[in-house]
Amino acid sequence: MSEKRSIQSLGATIAASALILGAPIAAHSASDGPELKHTTVLSDLENPWDMAFLSDGAMLFTEKCKGLSIRLPNGNVNHLLGMNGTEGYASTADDLVCAGQAGMNGVAVDPDFAENRTIYVYSASTISDLRTNRVLRLKLNEELTDVSGRTDIVKDIPYKQEATDHPFGDSGAHNGGRIRFNPDDGYLYVTTGDNHNSQLPQSGGSLGGKVLRIDADGKGAPDNADATPEGFDPRIYTYGHRNVQGITFHPETGQPYVTEHGPWHSDEVNALVAGGNSGWDPRPNMAGRGDCPDNYCGYMPNQNEGMDPDERRKFMPITDTATYPDAMKPVWGNNGLSQGISSGVFLTGEQWGDWNGQLAVSFLGIGFGGTPVGQRINLLDLSEDGASVRNVVEMPVPTGAMRYRSLVQAPNGDLYAAVDEGQIYRIQPQ
Amino acid sequence: MKTPILWAVAAVLAIGMSHAQAADESAGETLYSSNCAQCHGPKAKGMASFPSLAGRDAEYLSSRLEQYRAGEKVGANSGLMIPNAKNLSDDDIANLAAYISSNFQ
Ligand code: HEC
Repeated sequence: MSEKRSIQSLGATIAASALILGAPIAAHSASDGPELKHTTVLSDLENPWDMAFLSDGAMLFTEKCKGLSIRLPNGNVNHLLGMNGTEGYASTADDLVCAGQAGMNGVAVDPDFAENRTIYVYSASTISDLRTNRVLRLKLNEELTDVSGRTDIVKDIPYKQEATDHPFGDSGAHNGGRIRFNPDDGYLYVTTGDNHNSQLPQSGGSLGGKVLRIDADGKGAPDNADATPEGFDPRIYTYGHRNVQGITFHPETGQPYVTEHGPWHSDEVNALVAGGNSGWDPRPNMAGRGDCPDNYCGYMPNQNEGMDPDERRKFMPITDTATYPDAMKPVWGNNGLSQGISSGVFLTGEQWGDWNGQLAVSFLGIGFGGTPVGQRINLLDLSEDGASVRNVVEMPVPTGAMRYRSLVQAPNGDLYAAVDEGQIYRIQPQ
Repeated sequence: MKTPILWAVAAVLAIGMSHAQAADESAGETLYSSNCAQCHGPKAKGMASFPSLAGRDAEYLSSRLEQYRAGEKVGANSGLMIPNAKNLSDDDIANLAAYISSNFQ
């Protein structure tokens, strides 16, 4: 009996909290979108992290601790660049390593791929004395069987070297790691993370807690420096971020949008403005805070116990507009909850019906301190000026609840979703 | 006629008894998929910062779950696990440990 009761009470707690906190999300029915079907494109992967498509539908994909592979349109997979300790890859790079959240993350295809066969990967590396996160530029051969000509175009994105006294406090934490070309300006945008190091987000000398805007050689876009404060690294586009795992661009305006993972509260979607400060500053002894564990207030005032997310927000806001009145205000704040927002992409194409032009955002799900786990994909209907959200619906995902890590649209308009469980799904309107 | 009936009764009783004592794997499965899989993965092989439970024996799993239920810190991320163990009964723990240890190698 006791076993039944406890199962039911657990279930009831979850259902009750989902009811209360989920209510605003479910305000509009999801039925305005098309009926969906899904296909499992790949399975038994190890922590797939990102995908990028060639124009013929071939799909590059990364696995966090294994490396870079490509799935051909006929379904065959070629393993291209393996990380330390892997076998069966055409090439291996022993300096590419994984630990905790770090490893091989984002992948992108050069806008001129047809001419230059160039692709890019974000990965942790041991080349330098201290580990770094890097952006690698590679050439993919005509046969799609191997890569060559590695050049590390960004070598100095900070990496968390040692474990600290924080939730998820292992080394390798908070790397950002999504890389995407903006079709509008042709630059490569690179998202990074704060490494649980409170100094990084507001520091103009470090690439941690930033979004970078660079060219194919890793040089900063010339107008970055006009927009950022004096003395900032010229590669920095925006700063004051915590851990940006998603970036995508408005299909009509080219406006960059990021998804920013919240600290036990307030996942955010932000519209980036050149030189903008996203307002994350977890330093101790400022903004009313005292000392914090290992000099990082990011999970305070109460690191390890559940508490009202609203109380947390007051103590340690993700966008501190009191200290930084000009900070970029979030377009959307996930009703004040942190549920592991992980990536975003605009859906385009008539086949998506009412969702055509809406921003799909994915969640890993967390489930800490009474917050509903929240594994899902949401569709955000942005206002005309793109600065706020008119309506939010939950995509009735045919895959079921999963730890959604990456959303990417294929050239034919299908949505692809990678989940930590090891699958990559194709989601299509019926 | 009498003997077979008696045997049958005894057999039913014996099955009933063993069920009452041994862990109930299917209850463990239900609980696992609703309350554990979202972090530890559908095959318990772990994901992201959440440890693999595959290949652990029932005794190990039970003692860990009892520690978390008591609010003890084990690793860096115990704060995430403790609330998930708080409401488990002794039977829940036995069922979960049996299900996980016999299904995920
Ligand atoms: C919110 C995510 C989450 C959920 C849900 C969750 N766990 Fe955990 N679990 C963790 C984390 C994180 C750890 C590591 C904790 C630490 O560092 O001490 C852990 C550790 C464990 C361990 C110890 C593993 C080891 O190697 O020692 C066991 C056993 C375990 N969990 C079982 C369960 C069971 C059974 C459930 C369902 C009732 C469950 N967990 C639900 C996050 C979760």
